[in-house]
Amino acid sequence: MTVGSQVQGMLVSLQSIEATLTSLALKSNEQEAREAFHQGALKTRTVIQEILKRKGKIESEEPQYQQT
Amino acid sequence: MQGWIEVALRSFIGFVLLLAIARLLVRKPLGETSQLEFGLIASVAVILAIGSIQLTIPITYLLIALVIWAGGAISITLLSMKNATFRSAIYGKGIPIMKDGKILEDNMKKQHINTDELLRKLRAKQVFQVADVEFAVLEGNGELNVLVKKEQQPITSKMLHHQIPPIKEPETVIMDGKVLNEPLATRGLSQEWLKTELKKMDAIVENVFLAQIDEYGQLTIDLFDDILQVPQPTELPLLEASMKKVEADMEQFALDTEDVEAKQTYKWCAEQMKQVHQMVSPYTKS
Repeated sequence: MTVGSQVQGMLVSLQSIEATLTSLALKSNEQEAREAFHQGALKTRTVIQEILKRKGKIESEEPQYQQT
Repeated sequence: MQGWIEVALRSFIGFVLLLAIARLLVRKPLGETSQLEFGLIASVAVILAIGSIQLTIPITYLLIALVIWAGGAISITLLSMKNATFRSAIYGKGIPIMKDGKILEDNMKKQHINTDELLRKLRAKQVFQVADVEFAVLEGNGELNVLVKKEQQPITSKMLHHQIPPIKEPETVIMDGKVLNEPLATRGLSQEWLKTELKKMDAIVENVFLAQIDEYGQLTIDLFDDILQVPQPTELPLLEASMKKVEADMEQFALDTEDVEAKQTYKWCAEQMKQVHQMVSPYTKS
């Protein structure tokens, strides 16, 4: 596995975490839980942005591994 | 008037009156009533029952007796709400039978409780060793309430200084194969949402005997068909697991890469995800 595909895999996990947190924030009826899930989702989103940037760099550095 | 018609009429009126009086009296289980309350309720019932078949008693007499008995019962409950001394005179006060771990023999004698009875009452409260008791009170209705010593009490999260998230009541959304719209609406969820969730579990509404949503919106169901296996909710455990995995991955990348900038990015991200994990873990772990 190349670094690029490993990062891609982690990115997918991150996105799934973010989606789960958002849906939990909407469904919970406990105010504190709602707030925690929401904050978690926001933080995860910034992390996703960072990883996306990183992934872009990796792909430009090793274009030979780019699949598509 | 013919006899049987009068009996039927009186019985019917008596039945309605008993319903009305029962509504006016306080809601409590029969076992918890004091002897006085039980006596009052019994006399009202007996007056109504005898009055409905004993035609020689004029109706006015019956009504007078009923008003006094039922009115007395109701006014005693009302008065005892207002006045503490009246309350203890009518219902009796709680009398300590054990104090500081010692049996108060004088109080036992006064209340005509023998040793076997005390042991039986303690056993009813799951106390088999008298030495475990710190304090015990005999209530007005004959019930014994027991405070066991601190070291014998079940462990609570407060004793462990352990923070746990508050709990909220679950909502029942399907009963006997029918969707209940009101509880769904109070949680801000729609019928479509419910159908999607059921589809995820391979179930249809008609086959669901009971479905509840917990405080995190997770659905748990019980099917009419008990042979089918019902999947357990996996959302929270999965979230917990994938957060741990992502954290570990990031730390791994930070170690693997030689690029200083990338190292820092991964470290920062790992730190962020750790914070997220800490934030939500009290809710996901319960």
